[in-house]
Amino acid sequence: MARYGMVIDLKRCYGCYACSMSCKVKNHTPPGVFWARVLKGEEGTFPNTVRQALPVLCMQCDDPSCVEVCPTGATFMQEDGIVVVNKDTCMGCKSCLMGCPYGARYSVESWESYFPDGLPLSEYEEFAKQQWEETSGCGVATKCDFCKDRLGTGKDPACVEACPANARTFGDLDDLDSEVSILIRRHRGQQLNPELGNNPKVYYLMPR
Amino acid sequence: MDPKVNGQLQTEWGWLVAIYLFLGGVGAGAYTIAAINGFMGESLEFSTIVGLWISFPALMIGSAFLMADLGSPARAIYAGMKPKTSWIARGFWIISIFMVLSFFHLLLHRSGSTTADTSLVVISVLGIIFAVLTMAYTGVLLGASKGIPFWRSGVVPVVFVVSALVTGHFMIMLGVAVFGESAAVETLRVMAIEAAILVALEVLAIFFFLQAAFKTPDTRESASRILRKRLFVVGYFLLGLGIPLVLMVYIGRTDGALDGGPTLVMVGALLGLIGGLILRQAILVCGALPTWNIAGFKFRRIARPKEPKPAMGMLPPH
Ligand code: SF4
Ligand code: SF4
Ligand code: SF4
Repeated sequence: MARYGMVIDLKRCYGCYACSMSCKVKNHTPPGVFWARVLKGEEGTFPNTVRQALPVLCMQCDDPSCVEVCPTGATFMQEDGIVVVNKDTCMGCKSCLMGCPYGARYSVESWESYFPDGLPLSEYEEFAKQQWEETSGCGVATKCDFCKDRLGTGKDPACVEACPANARTFGDLDDLDSEVSILIRRHRGQQLNPELGNNPKVYYLMPR
Repeated sequence: MDPKVNGQLQTEWGWLVAIYLFLGGVGAGAYTIAAINGFMGESLEFSTIVGLWISFPALMIGSAFLMADLGSPARAIYAGMKPKTSWIARGFWIISIFMVLSFFHLLLHRSGSTTADTSLVVISVLGIIFAVLTMAYTGVLLGASKGIPFWRSGVVPVVFVVSALVTGHFMIMLGVAVFGESAAVETLRVMAIEAAILVALEVLAIFFFLQAAFKTPDTRESASRILRKRLFVVGYFLLGLGIPLVLMVYIGRTDGALDGGPTLVMVGALLGLIGGLILRQAILVCGALPTWNIAGFKFRRIARPKEPKPAMGMLPPH
């Protein structure tokens, strides 16, 4: 069985938010929900400072704290290592939103319009809302699922496909000859906050 | 509506969960005190009755507030599915068993059982065990959240247990002051001394909690936020801890002969109760996500200027 993971090259990423947007389009997430996010940070003191973009998503932890805290068993890890939410048994207690140290989970009460002042949903939004309710849903926890419906179709996850800098690579971590495994080995891939013990399956290649 | 960033405050758990934790604490705290007082003889008898009457309804109403916070309340039946790892699931069972016990205790008491009967003793001991578990659970539940370092401190369950005892105690005092007749004055005096000791313990627990929170970078943001919160400083520190402490010491020292006794008790107890609720809400809403770092590269967020709200004229046609 495969164990899916992702590699994000921080040297290549220039923080354009294409991953955020493509994830939104593919998964029809409502306003305020960002499964793929890009953080902008800086480090150092003047004049030796660097500015760096850090794209984040669900880390698909191997020891996921979201699964641990879920009282209903709605959140679980599939055999292929992807952590998913069963929208039909989640009761929306939001303890997984508090249990995830990477801020990867979202829960909305309803699919509201992107436009201000209580305008009715546009036609596209109506479609997006319907899609959202079929795949993720309101009143339950939602998160990135590595675009699991694309697995086996030969297509990469939407955010990987959309990245213009080619900073994102998706593949099987258990296959030592896969591109992700080679990248992690060659460039010493790092996990985000490894001290938390969640053992993420998303790896980063360092900018320096 | 911004994407979640490091150091950002959580916004999912607010007043509803605070009320749930508060009433859970009141119910369990009141029960513990009532059951212990039950063994203390005649003078505290009335406080036992009041405490037993408070406990079950408080838990019922508290659970209703948790239900109201659920995104899909109809599925609450699944809440106890995974007690192996989840504290919410363990809490579901702990509170359910505790509610049954406190209900039976009340029934036994009504039917005239005394502490000389083994059945009442057994149910009291079991009840106290589950009451303590309930009080601790309200804190451990927060401590299980890896995403909020502020709640993960080992002092949090201590704060919650002490505060549950304080609020449960105040709730009983309030009931005794309202329903107890003149004979209650002596009961209130004894209870005021106990209350003063419990409040003093809470002051200590809060001090250690905040002091520890200021020590690590991940929790400092939350700690300084909570101290900048006016509701917390005025509503909890001053009105919810300070004034009740002074009042309880005063009542405890004046032999209960004081005419204004019951009124002062009511004021102090009410303030203490409101303080307990504010404490929980403040701890909840000041919880912040941890700082993300990667191979020594700490992510310091760049503050973004607020974007102006688009004017109506700029919107695309529907
Ligand atoms: S990043 Fe968060 S949501 Fe994703 S698997 Fe890890 S703990 Fe769960
Ligand atoms: S919100 Fe749903 S998935 Fe998350 S912990 Fe609660 S029941 Fe589980
Ligand atoms: S893998 Fe799919 S769901 Fe996850 S962030 Fe990328 S586009 Fe979104």
